[in-house]
Amino acid sequence: MKSEGTISLDWGKINFFLGEVLRNFTRNAGMQATAIGTVAVTIVLLGAFLYARASLAHVAGEVMSQITISVYTQPDATAAQEDALRTAFAKDDRIVSSEFVPKKQGLRELRERMKGQIDTSILTENPLPDKFRIKVRDPEQVPAVAARIRKLPGVQNVDYGRDVVQRLLQLGAVARRAGIGLIVLFVLVAGIIISNTIRLTVFARRREISIMQLVGATNMYIRMPFICEGLIDGALGAALALGLLALARMTLLPKLSLALPWLQLNAARVDVGALVLELVGAGAAVGVVASWIAVGRYLRT
Amino acid sequence: MISLRGVSLVYPNGVRALDGIDLEIRKGDFVFLVGHSGTGKSSLLRLLYREMLPTGGEITVDGIRVDRLRRARVPMLRRHLGVVFQDYKLLTDKTVWENVAFALQVTGAHTKDVMRQVPRCLDLVGLSHKSRMYPGELSGGEQQRTAIARALVNNPKLLLCDEPTGNLDPANTTEIMELLGRINLKGTTVVVATHNQAVVDRMRRRVVRLEDGRIVTDEERGYYFLGLGQDQLLSG
Repeated sequence: MKSEGTISLDWGKINFFLGEVLRNFTRNAGMQATAIGTVAVTIVLLGAFLYARASLAHVAGEVMSQITISVYTQPDATAAQEDALRTAFAKDDRIVSSEFVPKKQGLRELRERMKGQIDTSILTENPLPDKFRIKVRDPEQVPAVAARIRKLPGVQNVDYGRDVVQRLLQLGAVARRAGIGLIVLFVLVAGIIISNTIRLTVFARRREISIMQLVGATNMYIRMPFICEGLIDGALGAALALGLLALARMTLLPKLSLALPWLQLNAARVDVGALVLELVGAGAAVGVVASWIAVGRYLRT
Repeated sequence: MISLRGVSLVYPNGVRALDGIDLEIRKGDFVFLVGHSGTGKSSLLRLLYREMLPTGGEITVDGIRVDRLRRARVPMLRRHLGVVFQDYKLLTDKTVWENVAFALQVTGAHTKDVMRQVPRCLDLVGLSHKSRMYPGELSGGEQQRTAIARALVNNPKLLLCDEPTGNLDPANTTEIMELLGRINLKGTTVVVATHNQAVVDRMRRRVVRLEDGRIVTDEERGYYFLGLGQDQLLSG
């Protein structure tokens, strides 16, 4: 192995190498197609799930962002106490805004909301206390902020749709965890499929491999065509999956939004370029690792 | 060129293939390893190109301590020796030219070296005119010559042959042995494991005889059978 110290492109070498990769790939065309297809289906499922999760997160976010904390003052609260509350809200940087709703306005709003359902004219006096309507910057901090306000003097009660908030927060956490679990699972499935395909090619070429070893090819060199094969499997699978997902988005999504108008499906925006790079890159990476392991097992024996 | 000291080899199943082998082979030697099947000829060759590691003893090939060679260095050893087998081990979907070139290409050789070495070796084994044929279109002798060309394409100083004529008829056998003789004349050390009596007796080269994993005799110009030529054996 003489090296002249300069790196020059040796087209004969490159041709030979690409020829080997191509032969690997075409020898087991059926198996390659199966591998690519299965990887694609796996990624489509993953993509559909991630999309659903993003939509759900968006809807949940919308709901959460509309959540306000209603702080009801004690009926005998003094103006000084209400002023103190106002400054307390202003000082807390978790709170975006606070709005004072005097009980007259509260009754008006209640009448507005209950129009035709309850005859509010039977009310002889205003049963409502004064209240503050508070918006919190981060929905996750709503429970904590509410708990703090409850302890302030002059506060009678705090209401923020506790159950709804907690459900949504839980849902978000579950979706995140399930998402991570599913990604790991899908990566494993894709890896195992590619690994098995490569093992078949390795088996089909065991004679060539033994000759390569005999004439002094390094393990690295023997590995390379198989690594490339895995890389192609993974990347093509991911590309195919992206095509299918794009197709689904174009054809299915309009129908889906007609069927479920309350779900803002279109709301989840994706950076297409980044997604393509990520998925194809991830597919290729899984392919490389899987085939590395598959060939490694063979070379060690 | 080759030096073995107290080399033993015990297979995992407990079979003792080689037992205390001491052997020196000088540069440029032509050596026959003879003995019945299962006496350790092939095992001995496998130790030399480190297909296997000895259970004990020291093995030096071309200055390399093979028994201590790190796994990653094995390809470097293999590039300095050629190996030929009874079953040729050719790739049936590659032409003669491609089979020979393969040995250089997979070691990352430059194309210009491939273009220079492959024709030289094909010429040496007399197959230049069949370089575009596939192994299936060749006779057994031609296939073995292809395998020899492949073994020589790295310009090895040592050629190891494990029953190179085991699948060949007498005419092809003669052809192959003459070729090995010519290769030896050019300075390459040749080690041939065989149980072909006619080959050994005609060549009159150094004969190392193995029996039950031990070297029983080592003669400078020997015959297949201990101290006897074929004529004497037949008449006596």
